[in-house]
Amino acid sequence: MNDYFISANDFDAFVSKMASERNVIGPVAKKTKFVYGKIQTNKDLRLDFDVTILPPKKVFTPTCQTLVTFDGSKFEGAVDKQPVVLFGVHFYDIKGLDMTDLLFSENNRDENYMAKRKAATVIGSSVQNVSKRAFWGSVGANVAPKGHDGFITKIGAGYHYQSLTQKGEALVGYGNFKPATEGQAEEARTVNVSMMSKCPEALKHSSEAIAKKVRDSFKNQELWANLSEDCFSCGSCNTTCPTCYCFDVQDKWNLNQVSGMRNRYWDSCLTEDFAKVSLGAGAEENFRETRGERFRHRFMRKAAYLNEKLGGPACVGCGRCSAACTADIADPVNVIKKIMEV
Amino acid sequence: MALTIDYSKVAPEGNIFLPRECKITHVKQVTKTERHFTLRHADNSKVKFNPGQILEVSLFGFGEIPLGYASSPTRENTFDIVIRTVGRVSTALNKLSEGDSLYVRGPLGSGFPLNELQNQNILVVAGGIGLCPTRSMIQYITDRRNEFKNFTLFYGARDPSQQMFHEDIAKWKAAKDVDYHEIVDKTDGKWTGNVGVITELFKKTTITPDTRVIICGPPIMFRFVIAECDKIGISRNNVYVDLERRMKCGVGKCGHCQINDNYVCVDGPVFRYSDIQNLEEAL
Repeated sequence: MNDYFISANDFDAFVSKMASERNVIGPVAKKTKFVYGKIQTNKDLRLDFDVTILPPKKVFTPTCQTLVTFDGSKFEGAVDKQPVVLFGVHFYDIKGLDMTDLLFSENNRDENYMAKRKAATVIGSSVQNVSKRAFWGSVGANVAPKGHDGFITKIGAGYHYQSLTQKGEALVGYGNFKPATEGQAEEARTVNVSMMSKCPEALKHSSEAIAKKVRDSFKNQELWANLSEDCFSCGSCNTTCPTCYCFDVQDKWNLNQVSGMRNRYWDSCLTEDFAKVSLGAGAEENFRETRGERFRHRFMRKAAYLNEKLGGPACVGCGRCSAACTADIADPVNVIKKIMEV
Repeated sequence: MALTIDYSKVAPEGNIFLPRECKITHVKQVTKTERHFTLRHADNSKVKFNPGQILEVSLFGFGEIPLGYASSPTRENTFDIVIRTVGRVSTALNKLSEGDSLYVRGPLGSGFPLNELQNQNILVVAGGIGLCPTRSMIQYITDRRNEFKNFTLFYGARDPSQQMFHEDIAKWKAAKDVDYHEIVDKTDGKWTGNVGVITELFKKTTITPDTRVIICGPPIMFRFVIAECDKIGISRNNVYVDLERRMKCGVGKCGHCQINDNYVCVDGPVFRYSDIQNLEEAL
């Protein structure tokens, strides 16, 4: 672990040089919002982003990912090991990646995610602007981000960079980095700590208290029906969530109708047919038939089911679901407030 | 109950989505919508699984569906599956003929806990297509009959035309050491056997409270059968339910089969009823 300093001017040159030699993905502007996209030069990289529309999970588990390709009776796996530098990830999204890392690697290890993840260099960045629905300052305080290779913090005269792994250290070669002074390291720490109190929204209870109350409320059907009354079952809360990773698997033919691929696509447990099975002869069984059941399932996953495994809730407080929800009923801060009041 | 899956054998290259090729050695239309396939591994390797385990069966270009093994691992050269024509994948699979290939991933999930069932009285309650996955256990018992005490089998079908495994049924009826009872919901006029719901069969024989019970059938059936088991005084620890859910991956990732925080594909599909009786989403 080494601490470096790089001036603002040198930083621009560093980014452009790194982007010319490596495949770099980072926050880029898209109209008035931000997305993770390809960085060609320093002008593309917008470390002043507040939050991206989709979390960085899309780099490792893309919306459509080929798992197997086939050609007649031949078939082969399509594990993608191409290295990528994911540069500019807020700490809450690193926590999200830590969670999907664990969930894809445990039990039956999923190489389609893990190989790409292993080949990646992830560099965190300090929060310079806070999004309107963020509440990361009050969620999972005892879960520290750990899956990154380095962390860059904007300080007065430039940037403080801390390399955490060999992959993170390797990036130093692309720029005019100098060892950081103790003062610069201290300034970076202060910047990151002071941001923690700047979220517009906050949870008022501990993760443990929330998990217990949410679990205890499982059979309160009226509560879940009320909370989900305006739900359109669109799944926006799922797709924008850094820790949602459910998927559908479908085969696609190429135009020749001989070859093709088996792909996985993001799926959403809020959608009506997510747990539906067909029994034949037109009969079907939906194991989560009502909006209330589906809304509850997602909330249980975020606030209770995975806590033991992850050491805290499967929510990082990014506020993306709050902002994406058409009916504005997904905001975990509001939902938890209502549950805690019952 | 979970078994350890040796994925080095199931998923070469570490890609858990990579299937293995199987050849159809025999196929038979058993009802209007169901076909019974006997398969062997294309590389002729032995078939290893636990009764009750599941597999993903696929045809490239169409997709994958989860199914239970419908034969016992005591027959190690081949295995059986039964496919009901329902959607795109099952329709395509049901057009295949002897000698054709299909692709499988498995065994997946946990099966019936053999060590808890051996040397015990066993009751299997199978409704409709629920006979297919339980046949892996039924066949295991009849193949190793001396390892089990009394064996009772209840089989319910919607109507006589929906009955499957006619050769098996003839054998079970003839066997002195299989207490076989069957029923149909609706008669076709020619049927001379029992008519009604499957729980009626509990009146036809004596089930002792120490019996280990295996249940598989349509969702509605479980509660009624469990209520009968309760009446007899069978411990819910000794009742095993074999559940069906939507599944896309079969390896605990895709999320579709979750019952609360359990994955049916990894933690099940066989569950001890006492373990899931308080999970609202289970039955």
